[in-house]
Amino acid sequence: MRDILPTLERWTADGLRTAVATVVSTERSAPRDPGAALAVSEGGEVAGSVTGGCVEPAVYQEAQEVLGGGEPRLRTYGIPDEDAFEVGLPCGGTVRIFVGLFEPATVTGLADAVRGERPVALVLPVSGAEANAARLVSGDQPAEDEVARHALELLAYGRTGMVEVEGEQVFVSSFAPRPNMYVFGAVDHAAALAEIGRFLGYRVTVCDARARFVTRERFPDVDELVVEWPDAFLRRAPVDERTAICVLTHDHKFDVPLLKVALRTPAAYIGAMGSRRTTDDRAERLRAEGVTDEELARLHAPIGLRIGARTPEEVAVAIAAELVRSLRGGAREASSRPEVGVGA
Amino acid sequence: MNRADVLVRAGRLAAEGVPFVLATVVSVERPASARVGDRGLVTEDGELVGWVGGACSEPIVVREALLTLADGEPRLLRIGPPGRVTEGADANTVVAASSCASEGIVEVLVVPQLPEPLLVVLGGSPAAETLARLAPEVGWRVAREPKPEADAVVVATMGHGDEDALAAALERGTGYVGLVASAKRATVVLEELRGRGVDEEALARVRSPAGLDLGPSTQAEIAVAVLAELVAWRHSGTIVPAAPELAIDPVCGMEVAVGAAKETTVHDGVTYYFCGAGCRSRFEADPARYLPVETP
Repeated sequence: MRDILPTLERWTADGLRTAVATVVSTERSAPRDPGAALAVSEGGEVAGSVTGGCVEPAVYQEAQEVLGGGEPRLRTYGIPDEDAFEVGLPCGGTVRIFVGLFEPATVTGLADAVRGERPVALVLPVSGAEANAARLVSGDQPAEDEVARHALELLAYGRTGMVEVEGEQVFVSSFAPRPNMYVFGAVDHAAALAEIGRFLGYRVTVCDARARFVTRERFPDVDELVVEWPDAFLRRAPVDERTAICVLTHDHKFDVPLLKVALRTPAAYIGAMGSRRTTDDRAERLRAEGVTDEELARLHAPIGLRIGARTPEEVAVAIAAELVRSLRGGAREASSRPEVGVGA
Repeated sequence: MNRADVLVRAGRLAAEGVPFVLATVVSVERPASARVGDRGLVTEDGELVGWVGGACSEPIVVREALLTLADGEPRLLRIGPPGRVTEGADANTVVAASSCASEGIVEVLVVPQLPEPLLVVLGGSPAAETLARLAPEVGWRVAREPKPEADAVVVATMGHGDEDALAAALERGTGYVGLVASAKRATVVLEELRGRGVDEEALARVRSPAGLDLGPSTQAEIAVAVLAELVAWRHSGTIVPAAPELAIDPVCGMEVAVGAAKETTVHDGVTYYFCGAGCRSRFEADPARYLPVETP
């Protein structure tokens, strides 16, 4: 949806009515995630995609019918059973796509919020009498009803998905500013982690007290570079339920005061690098500083899944995988497959 | 071939993605024909170019080079006359007695240069695109079309030929074969492969869904899950070639690499392998002296 907002704004400015087909739910193998959208203007122009080409012709047809006065509609595409597969549907997975008209006010409101980096949820009832009564719920305002309450909950975590309110299906698409990833310690691992972090949709900041190491040459792709004592930076930096904090400083002098601050934030993920011995030693120091066992239990240390990573780039993958798992609640073990080696 | 030529040849092999081993003399106790800094290059076939001290140390360097190619671990070799060579060696050093009693002791560092593994990513889903962009950062070569020499194949074609790609990878014995698909679709794909006569053992090798289980994921997260599994797989020791076959020189008792041995002879229908021409001619002059005595 984000990708086609500029086009929607232009059509709206030109006074063209617009039908939007939105992916509201998928199975794992679907080519695009929920929230992906294809728009059709009444001039017949198309923007965006919902499956990367698999069902676009059919969806385009539905959008044309809606533009022509047809009811908004929820359609399911994919493989309902093996028979359909044998018939030769080209694409795996199943997608549900809602097709309805978009009001000009919805388009401009959404575009303004995204431009201003203000959190906003697009709420789209897809069943019942309210279907297609799209509206925006601002993350800065208190919830005025049950639907808005659900929407704000998802928005707080930057999630997009379906909720059920009073028996009706409502699709909530979060347009939250990118969540923050704070990486402390301007080491090689930080550069590699920053890159994967950006692929995962984070706004990445690298912070280190040593100005010599915090340079654009070393971190070309990072959103923000900060030369500051790490704990001082974290005290003033915004932290919410989506924030990831990765401590790669590897030095008690920095990471004990830093983790003391980090463990009392609502951050989604807090990890710290170091050998098992360093980790135990640091835990002792943190306890001595008054950090409780409950707070310590939030710390992922040694940071990263144990996948036998050797190079800084591989360690970054191990950290990213642990971050995803802690957000998504995957299996506790690195893998149930015995043939996958699990190294130190 | 001088020291610089060895590096030129090494550069060429690295660019071609061909494995080899660099051997460098790092210490010498005189008298020795090698000097610190001398180096050689050992190919997969056991050919040595360059200079690491001549016939006294070469068969040992070649043997250890081939072992290092097999397990990927560098080694420090300490080569010298029997007895004296074990003095002052630490536990991490491979000690080898040479057949040259008049020589001093040389230490040679052998380091394998293995090409980056090749990952084939099939399909154009966002997960496949992200995987293909991230994998080179982690030290993989990436191809977007089938390659017979691939170490790993990840199939995410969304149905456009999943079965063909998987069947081909399984047939070739590709080490890592992953399918990015829903459980339902994976069942259909595997059933189709079964119908084509792919056996259960091969089917069990298909990782489906590919990637570590990190929970329900977005497309970018699936790419991270697959990459993490590839890293784990790469370091689980499944990717390196088999260890070379070794034989014992019946004259001096040294282990030599069969494939690389230049000095061989056939006696009573049995092939014997030697560290050098000296041992071979001694054997040929009086084989009975070096063969195990048969118990009556």
